[in-house]
Amino acid sequence: MNPYGSIFPEVLDLEPLRKKHIPLYRRQERIQMDGNGAAAIASLQFWRAPIYAGFPITPSTKWLEMISTYINAGRFVVEENGRKVSAKRVKLLEAEHAVADYLVGAAAACRELIFMTATSSVGLDHMTETTRSLGASGLGNVVLINVYRATANYPLCIEGDPSDAFAHRDDGWIQVVCRGKQQIYDTLIQLPVVGMDPRVLIPTMPGYYGIKDSHRSEPFFVEPDSKIHEFQDSLIPWRCPLPGLIVGETAMGNCVTSAHFQGFKWEQKKRMDQVLSVLTASSKKFEEVFGRPGIVPFEAYFMEDRPPRVLVAMGPDAGTAYEVIRRRRKEGERLGLVVVRLLTPFPSSLLREALKSAGVIGVVNNAFHSERGHLTALVSEAVSGLPIQTTGFFAGLGGADISVRSWEKMIDLLSVLKPGESRFVHEGEVL
Amino acid sequence: MSEKRLAPFMEMAQKESCFRPGSTLCVDCMESIAFQNVGRATDNGIKTIYTMGTFCGEVSTLLWPTVVAWGRGDQEATQFEKSFSIIHNVFESASTVAEGIRDTADILLELGALKKPIQVVANSGDGGALVIGLRSLLHTIHRRSRVTVVVLINEFFANTGFQYAVTATPYSETSTTPPGDFIPGNLEEPMNHVGLALMAGAEFVAQVSPAFPKDFTEACERALSCSETAVIFVPSPCIAGWKFKEGRTIELAKLASETGLFPTFLKEKGKAGSLRHVSLDSKQRTPILRFLAPQRRFHHLVHEKNGEPAVVKGREKEVALIQDWANRNVQTLQRLTAWDVA
Repeated sequence: MNPYGSIFPEVLDLEPLRKKHIPLYRRQERIQMDGNGAAAIASLQFWRAPIYAGFPITPSTKWLEMISTYINAGRFVVEENGRKVSAKRVKLLEAEHAVADYLVGAAAACRELIFMTATSSVGLDHMTETTRSLGASGLGNVVLINVYRATANYPLCIEGDPSDAFAHRDDGWIQVVCRGKQQIYDTLIQLPVVGMDPRVLIPTMPGYYGIKDSHRSEPFFVEPDSKIHEFQDSLIPWRCPLPGLIVGETAMGNCVTSAHFQGFKWEQKKRMDQVLSVLTASSKKFEEVFGRPGIVPFEAYFMEDRPPRVLVAMGPDAGTAYEVIRRRRKEGERLGLVVVRLLTPFPSSLLREALKSAGVIGVVNNAFHSERGHLTALVSEAVSGLPIQTTGFFAGLGGADISVRSWEKMIDLLSVLKPGESRFVHEGEVL
Repeated sequence: MSEKRLAPFMEMAQKESCFRPGSTLCVDCMESIAFQNVGRATDNGIKTIYTMGTFCGEVSTLLWPTVVAWGRGDQEATQFEKSFSIIHNVFESASTVAEGIRDTADILLELGALKKPIQVVANSGDGGALVIGLRSLLHTIHRRSRVTVVVLINEFFANTGFQYAVTATPYSETSTTPPGDFIPGNLEEPMNHVGLALMAGAEFVAQVSPAFPKDFTEACERALSCSETAVIFVPSPCIAGWKFKEGRTIELAKLASETGLFPTFLKEKGKAGSLRHVSLDSKQRTPILRFLAPQRRFHHLVHEKNGEPAVVKGREKEVALIQDWANRNVQTLQRLTAWDVA
């Protein structure tokens, strides 16, 4: 007796779906496209993704538009019993909440397929009731691309501020931050295999900054579909050990009393605790297959000599920080830079190890809700108990560029600010 | 909708329901009777998947691990066609979740990956489908998704303690419209849920109670054979919230139809619909007092004395207004039997 209910494997064979996939690319190519395009191309290359659900919201909309353009052009039409059918479909729902609900039904129906959407800001907020359920559901085959945009419409701002991603840290998803189109493309390919690993079974939320990355073009390498399938199929089990609604006999989303609720949460925590090791193993495989590094918990620059002063940042503006720090190190200053990629689960132990020799850490937050910033709180907890001073900066809110002068100012302030202080910095000035 | 023969009632009664003993629904709850009967209708040789909103019918039947009152037969299914799955997501989106399952099964079938068909039934309360979940319901209908939607109507949010919902009878007591000297209960007239479902484009719309077993069976079978969305509204007397004596569920369900408050209604797109178990002549129709009097939620308006209803002095106006609403409701539904999307 299967503790999760009967499975009828003979009624569902996904091989026809895999075989009928029409590849977008047959060899590696270097193309130029914006971030939404990079995410859309990767999404369309999965044979496991037959339905894309969506509702428009800036700046994520172009992902949906591009998916629709390819599908409506007949790019995936196959002949089935003398009839032309598209092996990929777009589902346009009436609200983001409906998109999330739809994904629940689809993902629970067949756990071996990948169901994707993209959204931003208040769109993600509108989904919240269901994204929180999804986080605990065990449906690791849902991918929600979060194109960062400021939340809370007073005032409304459509540019890339990760306040949406931070507001949804508690949804229980795996959240990975990308910067640059290659990272976006590669992360989209790798992340589903982490979420769908039977030890993990947690939905994934790759994210990138709206406008800066979603709407600006850059060259990057696309891989042949066959290679992507080889990579994903080597890590995603052909049959999920848990029954889907179609192939199995199962009950999902039950009520429980407190006597059992903690048990479910304990299981969820155990699965979340597996993410880092599963991610690391899949990154190794990714590098073997594609020759580029897979997802890392964080990028560490200039950290080899254990610098006493370190900036912790995330997002595309970290590139400017890299250049500023490189120059100042040439002038003799020992500075380091850490760029966070794995937001949830936050890689606290690894970060603590990387930062343990630092005296002062400046954490640069691109979103503000209260106190010293979410990222500051996470980093402070990671290094708690160590003799390290953490300082919170707010810069680049609402997707504003963080200029060279601002990075310079924040580095200068590291030696001045007292423990626990925070500052808003813009164009080299403290606000 | 296929023209296949409807199963005779006895044949239906002998089918194996996917609703099992063990639920914690109240004794005399109409929802459990409806589940039992819809559950039988789904024993038709096609694998069944249920989606649930959050409502009494979910929290009282899907309590893990002791009372999962679902599954066909006493053992796990050995045949795919008899197998059964169920999923609860959130309060208001049973039909959207059902649509996700429907589309996934359809593309798998069309591409030759899935060998056998499935049927999907979305279950919600009236709060979940017509108040907070109206968007979900209407858009699923509008997209013509091939799912059967069952909405159990008890006129309030029963699961959270009988708060006002948009289906509440005028002047009824709910926990958020308690009758007082200043405001005598719910002041709003109910929303026309049957009309909304028809206008959104449902292929089949029924309002029918298991108190009329043949009609209920007919509605279930017709709904399950639709190629687009079918909606069954099930008026469901609620002993805890309506506050009536044990054993009167079926009687009240019949009176709900006969008085015109919830007339039995069946309508298939493109064909003439029918109003049943209600007199079209208002003079011949069972007066609403018969329905109101046994329920303490109308105790501020009507009392039952020696089995006969008696209007509370000073509340004649409210009772007349409820009667007027019932009369207009029948007229509206009668017009809808001949109404179709152009």
